[in-house]
Amino acid sequence: MMHDPLSTTFSALADPTRRAILAQLVQGEATVNEIARPFRISLPAVSRHLKVLERAGLISRGREAQWRPCKLEVQKLRAVDDWLSVYRRFWEESFDRMAAYIDELNKGADDDRRKKRRR
Amino acid sequence: MTAARSVADNELLIVRTFDAPASVVFSLWSSAEHMKRWMGPKNFTCPEMAIDLRVGGSYRGMIKSAEHGENWFRGVYREIVQDRRLVFTFAWENEGPSAGLETLVTITFEERDGKTVQTFHQAPFRDVERRNSHVGGWSEAFDKQAAYAEKVARGA
Repeated sequence: MMHDPLSTTFSALADPTRRAILAQLVQGEATVNEIARPFRISLPAVSRHLKVLERAGLISRGREAQWRPCKLEVQKLRAVDDWLSVYRRFWEESFDRMAAYIDELNKGADDDRRKKRRR
Repeated sequence: MTAARSVADNELLIVRTFDAPASVVFSLWSSAEHMKRWMGPKNFTCPEMAIDLRVGGSYRGMIKSAEHGENWFRGVYREIVQDRRLVFTFAWENEGPSAGLETLVTITFEERDGKTVQTFHQAPFRDVERRNSHVGGWSEAFDKQAAYAEKVARGA
């Protein structure tokens, strides 16, 4: 279940270390050693995170056997951004309508009060 | 740094203040008749909405527009605190980029001087998974506790 591409991207992004790795790669390509430096976790642990990111298509790795520099792939992140902006628009506009509806309810309540006063 | 922040940003947060007490704003989410009046973006209507407001109960609705046709959505209520807090899952039934992707919506309502600050948060499905396993853990513990209490009551 839930093997659509966006779910794969989201589960890869659901980890703070992996998000930090991606943020680091925004600066440019980096080797595993360079990536591991700011973290207090072992090299194999970093490698595992990189594998998850690579499988999700969020990063790609160079072919050179020794270095295999990691590079950020923005395509998938763009899909997340699109997903977010569609939802943002959906709710922002719904809440505009909600505010208008509340105004209507408030106005109705005022009218009722006025009617009652007149009676 | 904008780029780094957008990398970490896979959640949605929208804070709005409405000119009504929390009990009213909460009711706009908890009553199908109210929800039909505002659910959906500009140029959409919400002709269908059914709500079974209890923890584990579900809701299902449909919004439509001339341009986009009918769009069905559904979810399950996870937490209900009258006039204060509402947590439910949300997913689209239709085809599209986020079809089948379940998200968790958390809304809190805070009344200030007769107005209500509504904090709306939506995050991807992973959080739901984690929450479910947590709930499973607790309910198992409660089952055991209940069984134990019965045993004690029977004087075993």
